[in-house]
Amino acid sequence: MRLTDVEKAMLSGDRGEAMRQAMDGLVKLGSAYGAEDMVEIGYAHVHAGMALYLRDVELVEDLAALGAKMAVPTSVNVANADTENWRATGAPESLALLQSRVKTAHGKMGGTCTLTCTPYWAGHWPTWNTHMTSIESTVTIFCNSVLGARSNRDGYFSIYAAITGRYPRFGFHLDDARHGAHLIKISGEFGGTSDFSALGYHVGRLSGDGVPVLDGFAHRPNLDELDALGAGISASGGASMFIVPGVTPPFDDVAKAFRNAPPLHTHSVSPSDIAGVYAQFNLRPDIAPSIVHLGCPHASMEEMRHYAKLLAGKSVSPHLQLWITTSRNVRNIARDEGLLAVLEKAGAMVISDTCPMSCHFARTVSPDPSLGVKPPELQSIVVDSAKQAKYLRDMVSCNPLLTGTEEAVETAVSGAFVPRRSNLRSGT
Amino acid sequence: MKARGRGLVPGRVQAPALISREPISFLGDVDIRSSRVVGELPSVKGRELRGACVFMPLSRGSAGAWRFIYQMAMHDSQPAALIYQSVPDPSVVQGAIMANIPVIAEVAAAFVESLRNGDIVSVDGETGEIEKL
Repeated sequence: MRLTDVEKAMLSGDRGEAMRQAMDGLVKLGSAYGAEDMVEIGYAHVHAGMALYLRDVELVEDLAALGAKMAVPTSVNVANADTENWRATGAPESLALLQSRVKTAHGKMGGTCTLTCTPYWAGHWPTWNTHMTSIESTVTIFCNSVLGARSNRDGYFSIYAAITGRYPRFGFHLDDARHGAHLIKISGEFGGTSDFSALGYHVGRLSGDGVPVLDGFAHRPNLDELDALGAGISASGGASMFIVPGVTPPFDDVAKAFRNAPPLHTHSVSPSDIAGVYAQFNLRPDIAPSIVHLGCPHASMEEMRHYAKLLAGKSVSPHLQLWITTSRNVRNIARDEGLLAVLEKAGAMVISDTCPMSCHFARTVSPDPSLGVKPPELQSIVVDSAKQAKYLRDMVSCNPLLTGTEEAVETAVSGAFVPRRSNLRSGT
Repeated sequence: MKARGRGLVPGRVQAPALISREPISFLGDVDIRSSRVVGELPSVKGRELRGACVFMPLSRGSAGAWRFIYQMAMHDSQPAALIYQSVPDPSVVQGAIMANIPVIAEVAAAFVESLRNGDIVSVDGETGEIEKL
């Protein structure tokens, strides 16, 4: 790899051990993928350090102790417990205290300890052609596909990129990866985040690692719908990017998305395919719900407003709990606008910092038994996100019930599962 | 018998081969503490990856693979080397760098076909050379 003098100095250890370790990792990664040189990044979304895993919080603390500092604006991904209200989700204090240590470590390094999977709703909004890294695949796909930034689906090394301000030039940092492979022809009317989440889940299975180009929407998808679409695609497939012509920079139309070449594959998607995803995650509607959980990925301010509107003047059934996960930043704005009071008055719990899957994981199977995590008596969890439904099924081993957002709130109020009503959907 | 792939993560080991006909996802297919394959992978289900030179056709998607490879190292259950017939995900490479596990990509299928489970192989993740001893 061709390195600049500055990068060589980083690698030599002249700029400290943290910088050396970070640059060494990035050079090895770049060499593995044939990168010719490094790009300068403008933003990084990095690993929090997750308390459920052995020596994972310490990974981040070790870097802070070595004197690492973030060279670019940095947000921090989700953790395993709400660091201020862990009791609400049944997480043991030992787990919460271990988790809270990452706030000190990230603070020392100069990262913004957002502890969220939707840092864009918390103000981290990279723009067109900004090179960046992200540990969270949902952030990668949103930033590539909606904002036009350039990011790979990354792992731990996103923190190395934040420390050095560099990342090897390969994958979605190059124009060569940023074009369509699959044309997805959409027909029919549907809308809302849950439908877009299910659509994404279906498309991810069709397109695998290839970039899907989605054409034929009855309306221009809004930001929440685009977020849900990307989360669904990256949960069921390996794609780092989707293209909606006219939305994804700089692709004005389908021809440009395929660089004027014919698509490798063409698929038609109709409302019945979307209904099929709901059906796949509704295998046991007879198992009564213990929890209704909204906010996977972490809810935006618009979603919080929507939940508050649906719940105003209502009460959550005594037979279950309603959980809403959002970032602490959005939670604070919702509090200032008086929405938190509306949600809490209705009996909803608004939870921050934790991954919407691992707060249930925390109650079931912990990789480190010394933390004292005990399995709960869970039956079904009702969700409005196909991504969350998949991971609850596969990793928490509980029964997910996927439905629309409105229907999930109705479930929370009535106590009985309300399946998605397709005839409610409209194009607006 | 020798083969040469592309060395992705440096490191030299000698270890018994374990050949998977199916791609392995480190998120979900492997129990990190026991090192056993728990996913529905007929060729290796129930086997331990610990200390083995694991041959796989390709990696199976998860951006979280690095965490589970690193966790295996924290629990002393990690494989000795990872050998792919294609190029694995960046997340696998990052986990292997963190866990000090050599990785070789693009190894010829014919070489893998000639191996049996338990054959001792030497691996050089720098040069990409693999030899059946």
